[in-house]
Amino acid sequence: MHKIQEMFSGKTKNKIDKISRFGYKNKDFLFKFFVYLILIDVAFVFLYPLIYMVVASLKTAQDFADPYTYWIIKQPTLENLRDAYETMSFLRSATNSIIIALASSIAQVISCSFIGYGFARGKFPGRDLLFILALFTLIVPPQTIIVSLFILYQRLNWIDTYYPFIIPSLFGQGLKGALFIYIFRQFFKGFPQELEDAARIDGAGGIRIYSQVFLPLSKPAILVVSLFSFVWHWNDYFEFSIYIMDKRKATLPIKLLDLNWWFTEVKMGYGGATGMFQLNEGVEMAGCLLVIAIPLILYAFAQKYFVSSIERTGLVG
Amino acid sequence: MRISLSKKKTLEGYLFILPWIIGFVIFLAFPLGQSLLISFKELKVLFGFKFEFIGMRNYFEAFLIDVNFVPAFIVIVRDVLINIPLILIFSIGMAYLVNQKLYGRGVFKIIFFVPVVIVSGPVIQRLFLQGVGVASIFQRLDIGGFIYTYFDPIIADPLIEILNRIIFILWRSGVPILICLAGFQAISPALYEAAKCDGADEWLMFWKITLPMLMPILEIAAIYSIIDSFTDVFNPLLNYIKHTVFKNFRYGYGAAMGWTYFVLIFGIILITLAVFKKYMFYAEER
Repeated sequence: MHKIQEMFSGKTKNKIDKISRFGYKNKDFLFKFFVYLILIDVAFVFLYPLIYMVVASLKTAQDFADPYTYWIIKQPTLENLRDAYETMSFLRSATNSIIIALASSIAQVISCSFIGYGFARGKFPGRDLLFILALFTLIVPPQTIIVSLFILYQRLNWIDTYYPFIIPSLFGQGLKGALFIYIFRQFFKGFPQELEDAARIDGAGGIRIYSQVFLPLSKPAILVVSLFSFVWHWNDYFEFSIYIMDKRKATLPIKLLDLNWWFTEVKMGYGGATGMFQLNEGVEMAGCLLVIAIPLILYAFAQKYFVSSIERTGLVG
Repeated sequence: MRISLSKKKTLEGYLFILPWIIGFVIFLAFPLGQSLLISFKELKVLFGFKFEFIGMRNYFEAFLIDVNFVPAFIVIVRDVLINIPLILIFSIGMAYLVNQKLYGRGVFKIIFFVPVVIVSGPVIQRLFLQGVGVASIFQRLDIGGFIYTYFDPIIADPLIEILNRIIFILWRSGVPILICLAGFQAISPALYEAAKCDGADEWLMFWKITLPMLMPILEIAAIYSIIDSFTDVFNPLLNYIKHTVFKNFRYGYGAAMGWTYFVLIFGIILITLAVFKKYMFYAEER
């Protein structure tokens, strides 16, 4: 019914468009021109820090001192990148980051889809109240509960382990867990009731309907949630800097925070103390680049499905 | 014993929610209550966490003695008041433009989403310290000098502050743009047709159809932006609480500040909801 309506209206809309385009051809062109102009400007603003990062990480110290060298570099160098790579002990930190982001996001996809199914399809007293309570958890700032969570994790001996990120994720908590429950609930609510009924007549219980009927059909939602979850865990540094003290377990963003300190340590380790080594801006930008490299590559692969998925998940309600 | 189908379904529903209930109690409700308790106490012995009850002293200290807390509080309120409307206006505008029939609009969508992937606290901090937001674009045009000559310092200072951060504010509108975009696509084209038949132009249709229909979605975008600002690098309470609790070991005081922040955020969200409710009746009237 909805589709028919859409088709019909789409056709009429095209006709109207044709008429109006015929009437105001020049005005239309001008409008489009300005739209493109604004969009390209904004796109530049969005990409500017990224471009800056790449360019600055290729500059030598002389290039920074030279006022005529801003975008065009005479002799690009990979030295900054190498320095940042070494000081951040990239391989180990990246592995830590990947472990934590991957484990938490997988845990969140599993738990939030499970819980989201319950909120979308279950019929039981108190469901709506509990759902409102779940949304309420979103607005509790991490600053408020960090003190007692720290005490809790210390009692459980979870400090300096990755449990504080993975275990809450398994229970639908963790970073913005309620948002993911919401996304899955909205998505599952869109499925026709007949789908569930048919499976029930065939003798399937709730768990089977969830795992064998609903889950295989919810690839867009899974994609959106897993990418969000991965990226947010990857970029998280506030909670991480509190629960993890062991420097060997640090993730990339943490390493970036004290890049200065690490750089001094590594560079001065052999040479003895001659004061703080002045950190090159190029090295800092190279460090930033290394932190965002993996999520960026991931996004480059996923973007094709991602933008269309986010429109289909009903993130919007 | 046999149980009826409806009873079975009820139990099944609870089964699905059970993990959430457990997680909610252990990782949210309990810490939330405990931090409220701790906020009335002071840590006496670090090992084993022995606390002593001191009443409202932590809260008095936050508001009356501490020179850092109240300014941080004001900064947070000011940021919400300035950033959230800017983010919303900007994301409506961008979503509107991308929603036009254009070649290569997919590319723009991809670009607008890049910040969501790479916005990471430390990275933003580095970029900000390097002056990526300010130096190259605004300083070259000497906009700062222009504003200071023509405006009162009371207006000029926040204005400069906004300009300094404009890239980072725009960067935070990646998700809101996508939310708005999805909202645009959910509006039935039949409404626009009807309006066109009545002779409405684009401008009128935007104000009379698009914006009112978009209100529920804007509400979501606004709440999202507020939540997003908790762990923003520019949030002054983030490091202050961390410093208080984990460097100075003042657990009680940290908890008191955390709870004050929570009450503030709760108030801001209630006000936001109330503001939106005032403009929402257009959509619900039908």
